[in-house]
Amino acid sequence: MNTIFKLVVFFVLVAGIANAAELGQSASAEFGAENTDKTTQPMFKFDGFGSLGVNHSSQRLGDYVLDSTLPKGAGRSSDWAAGNDSRLGAQLTGNFSPRVSAVLQVISEYQADNTYTPVVEWANVKYAFTPNVHVRAGRIVLPTFLNSENRKVGYSLPWVHPPVDLYRVLAITNSDGIDATYSFEVGEAAHTLKALYGSNTIDRPTSISTSHNLWGVFDTLEYGPATLHVGYQERMASSHSLLTGIDGAWIKNSDLSIGASYDPGNWFAIYQWIQRQSTTNLTAMYAGVGYRINKFTPYMTYSNNGRSSFVPGFAAPTAAAIVSANKSQSTVSAGVRWDFMKNVDLKVQYDRVQLSDSSNGYLINLPVNTVLYGTTFHVISAIVDFVF
Amino acid sequence: MKSLSCYCLILLLTSFAASADVVVVVSAKSTVTHLTAEQAARIFLGKSNTFPDGGNVVPVDQPEGAAIRDEFYARVASKNASQLTAYWARVIFTGGDSCPPKLLEGNAAVRRAVAGNPNAIGYIDRNALDGSVRVVLDP
Repeated sequence: MNTIFKLVVFFVLVAGIANAAELGQSASAEFGAENTDKTTQPMFKFDGFGSLGVNHSSQRLGDYVLDSTLPKGAGRSSDWAAGNDSRLGAQLTGNFSPRVSAVLQVISEYQADNTYTPVVEWANVKYAFTPNVHVRAGRIVLPTFLNSENRKVGYSLPWVHPPVDLYRVLAITNSDGIDATYSFEVGEAAHTLKALYGSNTIDRPTSISTSHNLWGVFDTLEYGPATLHVGYQERMASSHSLLTGIDGAWIKNSDLSIGASYDPGNWFAIYQWIQRQSTTNLTAMYAGVGYRINKFTPYMTYSNNGRSSFVPGFAAPTAAAIVSANKSQSTVSAGVRWDFMKNVDLKVQYDRVQLSDSSNGYLINLPVNTVLYGTTFHVISAIVDFVF
Repeated sequence: MKSLSCYCLILLLTSFAASADVVVVVSAKSTVTHLTAEQAARIFLGKSNTFPDGGNVVPVDQPEGAAIRDEFYARVASKNASQLTAYWARVIFTGGDSCPPKLLEGNAAVRRAVAGNPNAIGYIDRNALDGSVRVVLDP
């Protein structure tokens, strides 16, 4: 909580500096905002989001978790688990001047230490050179994949959660550093081009992973109801084991992603493909459709991730490493979203998870020597999402 | 058969009565004369900060639940009220690159605000038009 207090102080300081910097400047002319005008926005804005969700898995030998940061999930540890999908987020945005704004987002969700301790997800200051060019400094969201930026905001998603087979491969969601964004239009198509540099530290149940020299370039192209996202992200990562105290080697990690969605109003289709490389190379994909009937949006998704292959140039992997690297699985999901009241939705989802013939998939906390290769299990989820 | 056509006629009439006749307006002092539905959607969804001619734009919205708001977003952006909320949830909670347009209550308030700011754009019922604003899109 001490960190949060510091951030609030930081916010107030930025507000003061921004206001001082604007004195004697006529930035408002370029930005078209007259401060006395009825059309201007308030300086501070508070928004929140949250989800209360539960999962049940038919596979009682292991836990079904959505992220490598989670210590427990549905299946072996509990019949119904709320940790995967429940969270509460609060966001304070300060628009100090047409050029300077700042955002602070704090999220409470289930994490590696088995608590819901709030953490600072984002805290950054934005400076806009023009309405179409801005830079940010601080803790910034990573736009690695198509839905990376909003993966925690259940209300903004058509599903209970983003398809696990793809989003499970990368747990890091933010970067401490800088980014620059340039928006421009080509005819009726709008590009948002982003470049980012920073670092990240993430806690897992038995390790702490650090990433340095994290950089990426991302382009989002919007043309009418169509959106295309292309991204490449790279970092040097090392893992410190909390069990042995040993620091792992620094390994280059890269994530290449292509995603497309089409949403003309009454229905939507979405597709994504990623390739991630560290000492192993793997690809994952999903494709989904949904159809809106009044307040109901039934949807279906197919997702999979392939068998990992070892990248040449590293020491030959041990047999255990080969087994643990292979998480190959596929999932067929069907569910429905019900917008039953203003700013609140209810979703229920069924997943049929098929483990490949050589992997235990993403199941965790399995008893030693458990082999579930080629088996199938079922997951049922229900969630209520809200924004305020 | 007669009762069926009667029923259809009533359905047709009531559906006309329920929908507001929305027009998109800028100040009479603005140099902008025409926008496409796509351009208007981009401005109101915070995807574009400028008019097509490069001038800055400040959109003014009507309150949630207002029939004219639902009509505007359905026609221009093909989004119903829930889809619009979900859209803004996504934008706001992905770093706040833009925020929803300022809300003003009622056609008259929107017309006055738009008339007074050459950068502003709003939507009002056709019945509320006067010489202080110019229609740039009749969706």
